[in-house]
Amino acid sequence: MKTFTPWIGLISRLILGGVLLAAGLLKYQHLDKSQMAVRAYELLPIAIANVIGIVLPFLEIGMGLLLILGAGTRIVGLAGAVLMFIFVIGISQAWARGLSIDCGCFGGGGQVAPGTANYLPELLRDAGLAALGIYLFIYPQSKFALDKNSHQQGNQS
Amino acid sequence: MNSKPQPGKDNFTRNLVIVVVVGVILLMLVPTLLSKKTNKDAVIPSVASSAHGYGITYNADLTGVPVIDIYEDFQCPVCAQFEAAQGDYIESLIADKKATVVYHTLSFLGPESIAAANAGACAADEGKFLDFHKMLYVTQPKENSGAWSNAALAASGQSVGITSQKFTTCVTKGKFADWVGNVAAEGAKKNVNSTPTVFINGKELNRGNDYYDRNLFKAAIERG
Repeated sequence: MKTFTPWIGLISRLILGGVLLAAGLLKYQHLDKSQMAVRAYELLPIAIANVIGIVLPFLEIGMGLLLILGAGTRIVGLAGAVLMFIFVIGISQAWARGLSIDCGCFGGGGQVAPGTANYLPELLRDAGLAALGIYLFIYPQSKFALDKNSHQQGNQS
Repeated sequence: MNSKPQPGKDNFTRNLVIVVVVGVILLMLVPTLLSKKTNKDAVIPSVASSAHGYGITYNADLTGVPVIDIYEDFQCPVCAQFEAAQGDYIESLIADKKATVVYHTLSFLGPESIAAANAGACAADEGKFLDFHKMLYVTQPKENSGAWSNAALAASGQSVGITSQKFTTCVTKGKFADWVGNVAAEGAKKNVNSTPTVFINGKELNRGNDYYDRNLFKAAIERG
C-alpha cells in the first residue's frame, strides 16, 4: 500500500462526511421543507415520502459524524455511496420527466419555476461524492481515524 | 481485502463512538417522527375543523359554491404577492358568500412562521383573522429576522383593532402551537410542495399566471 493512500482516505472521509453532515443539519432545521423536497420528486407514495423527509436528515448527520471521526469507515463509505447513487437516480428521473424541482440537497426543495431547475451540477456533484464513498469502501485506511484496524491493514498489505 | 473490525482493546473507542452516535440519532429521530403526526387532542381555533384539514374556514356551511383551499406561509414572499394580487377578491367572495374559503397557514419556513400562524389562529378567535392576515402580509419582514417575536405579533394585533388580553396571552403562550403542527401535517398529506398553493374544489390551480392575474384567477374559480 502506498504511503499517500491513508491521506487520500482522510480527504475523502472529510469531504463526504462534511457534505453529509452539512446537508443533514440544514435539512434538520426545516423538516417540513425536507418532507416537501422528498414529495416533490414524485417517486414515492406521499406517506412514505413524508417519513423519509424526516429520517433522511438524521441519517445524513449520523453518517457524516461517523465518517469525519473515521468510525466504521468502510461500511459508512459504502452506505454513503449507495445514498448518493439513490440521489442520482432521483434527480435523473426528475430531469427526464421534466419536473421542475429544487433537489433539496442542502435544505430547500419543492417545486421551482419551470426552466430554473439546475440538474446537471447536482448530478455531477453526487456522482463525485459516490466515487469518494466507493473509494473508502475499497481503501478504508486513512489518517486520524478511530478505526484502528485500518492502519494495521495498511501496514500489512 | 479484509477490513473486518478486529476484536480487542484497539477498537473500543471506535465501537463506543458508533454506539453513541447511532443511539443519540435514534433518540432524537423517534420523538421527531411522532411529533409530525396529527395530534387529535390539539386545541384548535373555533373556525377551524379537521374536516377541512384544520384550516381556518369561512362559509363552511354553504353548498353549491366553489371550495377554495389556500396553502400559504406568512413568511413566504410569493404568498405576499399572491395576497396583494388576489386578497381583496377572495375577501369579497367570503363577504358575498360566493365561496367556501379555507386558509391553511403552513410553517415550513421556520420558527417565525409557526409564531405567525399561531397568532393568526388567535386573531381568528377574535373574529379578526382576515384583517390580521392582510396586515401580516403588508408588513412582512425578512424571513426569521427576529421581527415576528410573540411579543411583537401580540402588539401588532392593535393595528387591526384587537386589544383583548386574551389575544395577547394566546399569542405569547403559543396556545395553538399543536394546531399549527396539525395544519402542516395535513398539508403534507395533501402533497403541497410549494406556497402559495391553491386548490379549487380539490383541483390544484395551474402554476404560473393563474395565481397573479386577476382575470385568470377569477376565471379559474368560476370554472370550478
